[in-house]
Formats: sequence, structure tokens, C-alpha cells
Amino acid sequence: MSAEHEPRRGSWYLLTGLLIGLALGLLMAWVVAPVEYVDTAPASLRPDFKDQYRSMIASAYLVTGDLGRAQSRLSLLGDVDPLQVLTLQAQSALAAGDPDGSAYALSRLADALKQFPVGTQSPTSLPQTPELVASLTPSPAGSATLTSTRRPTSLLTPIYTPTPRPTRTPTPTVGAAFVLVSQENVCDVNLSEGLLQVEIQDAAGQPIPGAEIIISWEDGEEHVFTGLKPELGNGYADFVMELNVGYSIQLASGSQLVTNLSAPPCQTDGGDSYRGGIRLLFQQP
Amino acid sequence: MSRWIKFFIVIALGLAAGLIYGWVISPVEYTNTTPDTLRADYRSDYVLMVAEVFHADQNVEQAARRLGMLGSEPPARIASQALDYARQANFPASDLALLQSLTAALQTWQPASGGVSP
Repeated sequence: MSAEHEPRRGSWYLLTGLLIGLALGLLMAWVVAPVEYVDTAPASLRPDFKDQYRSMIASAYLVTGDLGRAQSRLSLLGDVDPLQVLTLQAQSALAAGDPDGSAYALSRLADALKQFPVGTQSPTSLPQTPELVASLTPSPAGSATLTSTRRPTSLLTPIYTPTPRPTRTPTPTVGAAFVLVSQENVCDVNLSEGLLQVEIQDAAGQPIPGAEIIISWEDGEEHVFTGLKPELGNGYADFVMELNVGYSIQLASGSQLVTNLSAPPCQTDGGDSYRGGIRLLFQQP
Repeated sequence: MSRWIKFFIVIALGLAAGLIYGWVISPVEYTNTTPDTLRADYRSDYVLMVAEVFHADQNVEQAARRLGMLGSEPPARIASQALDYARQANFPASDLALLQSLTAALQTWQPASGGVSP
């Protein structure tokens, strides 16, 4: 009888030993002495740190105008759609009151990426050693100069070397005067009554998100921002005007003051009266 | 060979298999790391970004705050380490100049008073 049990006992104790060894090995590898990550890449950062990193990239882009470098840095974060992530972060920052002032920079970088999407440029293989990549960077005087730019080595995601932009993206500065390019009354029953629509563009005709608009009336004032309704355009903002109230409007960054704005009277096809709207377009000269 | 020896041999084999699986095939994945674990070149590039912005706005306090994301070390030391790395890695002269400028500003910056000492 004991001889019959010999083969079965043999296989079971070997299997038990193997399982005990495996368990000890995994315990050691995952708990006691796990792989230590001391040289991580930006792609592995916690989402809030990624947001800070992204804001820093946008701020640096805003002052250097070096889109190629900004794109390379964004690629380090491993976002599937960097443009969408930038736009969403800018919208979130605006909605939160833009506590760190990053919304404008994020929006500008997103706009630049729209004009020069990453996909339109040919990717290069990953450099394993420090590599100098030529790029154009604007000099303080505004003219383009050819300089060398160092890229981080051994990246997790491909680096793109886009065609650099020869000039800095124009950015509005405090006091720069936007001018009212067009003003028209709008009678459209599909829109909210008394809707004041404002569109803000830079000198190149590109929408400017995050621009602050001051709307004032006899006993009140309200500040609205462009870009909070991206489906209507990044440079778009609106405000509902009350009946028989005169409004004035001005951009916080500097523009002419537009006064005596009030909802125009409109009529439906059936002859019913309703408050129409006004559409304004401000642009940098 | 006695059963005990066989038993310990398979334990050793299992241990080895477990370590290979846990360290090589499926190691612990860190997906929510903090910036202080970033590799030196990434840290240096981040500091370079801060230096680029500092060059434009000359706001040393904001630069120090931004460098604070990289760890609890003094901002001047973080900038200095980035400058050292940039020199070793032969960063372009323009980038080195930006990093030098930031490092110099941070070394004379007094966080308590929030100003720059002479």
C-alpha cells in the first residue's frame, strides 16, 4: 500500500516546493525589493504633475516661440492627443479662474499646434546619445537665428523634428489696442434673446482664447472670457443683454471702448417681437 | 538524491522563476511618479524651461516656486545641478547662459524676505 503512494507523494512535494519558491520570489520582487524607478520619464508622472509640466512647456513656448522644442517636450508626456489635452487643460484652468495664469499660454500653444500639427511632420528615431537638433529660435530683436537645441536622450516616445517657425507667434501684450472690426445686429430666432456675441482675433486672424472682456452697464459690470465654448471657437464669448439696458464693452488687455450697445428689436416671420443680438469682432491691427 | 534536497532545489527554481517574472517580465509599474524621480536630462530640460521663462519675466520668486516641483532641495541647488548636467552634456551656449543666469539669480535670492540680496 505504501509503495502505491510513493509516486504521488513525490510529485506533490516537488510541486509544493516550486510554488513556495515562486511565492517567495514574487514576494521579494514585488514587495521586499521591487524594481526602483529613480530615472523616470515625464510620461510616468502623476496627472497633476503632468499638468504642471505641460503648463511649463506652454509658458516656455510663449516666451521663446520655439514650437519645435515645445512639440518635443510635449511628446515626452506621452499624451495620445496633445492638442486635445492642451485645450482641455486650458479650459479647466479658465473655469477654475486661472489661478496660475497658465490658460493663455496653454491656449496659444494649442493654437500653434493646430496650425502645425505634429502628424504633418516626419518623426525621427529615438536618439540614444545626446544629440544636437537644429532649430530656429527668435532672437530678442525678433529676427530668427539658427541655434542648436539639446534634446533629452533615450526618450520613451518618438521625437518629432518639425519645420521650425521662422518668427515668433504674435501675442497680445497689455495695452495693445484691439480694434472693433465689425459690429452687426443679429435677428435669429435660433439664438438666445439679447445675445451679445464677441469674437477676438489676433493680427493673423487667429482666435485668441482666454481673453478677458469687460462688459459694463449703468449699475453693474461683468467679466467674461473667450474660449469657454470651444465648439463655437476659441476666440468666442457671449453675454445675454437685458431689455432696455445700454452696455459698454472693452477688452481687459486694451481696446477701444464700444458704448451704447443694446438688444435690437426684431420680429419673427409671424410678426412677434423679440430681442435680437449683436455680434462684435475685435482684432489686433 | 533525498527528497529534501529535491524539495529545496525546486524551491530555488521557483524562487528564481518568481524573481525573473517580478523583476524582468512583469516588474512593478510606476505610473504616478513624482517629478523628483525624473532622470537627470529631463530634470535639466525642465529647469531650462524655467530658465527660459525667467529670462523673459525676471521673476525669481516664480522661478523658485516652479523649481519646487522637482523636490524639496533648495531651488539654487536644483538649478546648479541642472547647469552641471548641461555642461557635461554639451548643451548649446545659449541654453547654458540661460541656466547660468537662473542659477546666479537663485543663489542670491532670499526666500524669507522674498527679495534679492546684494
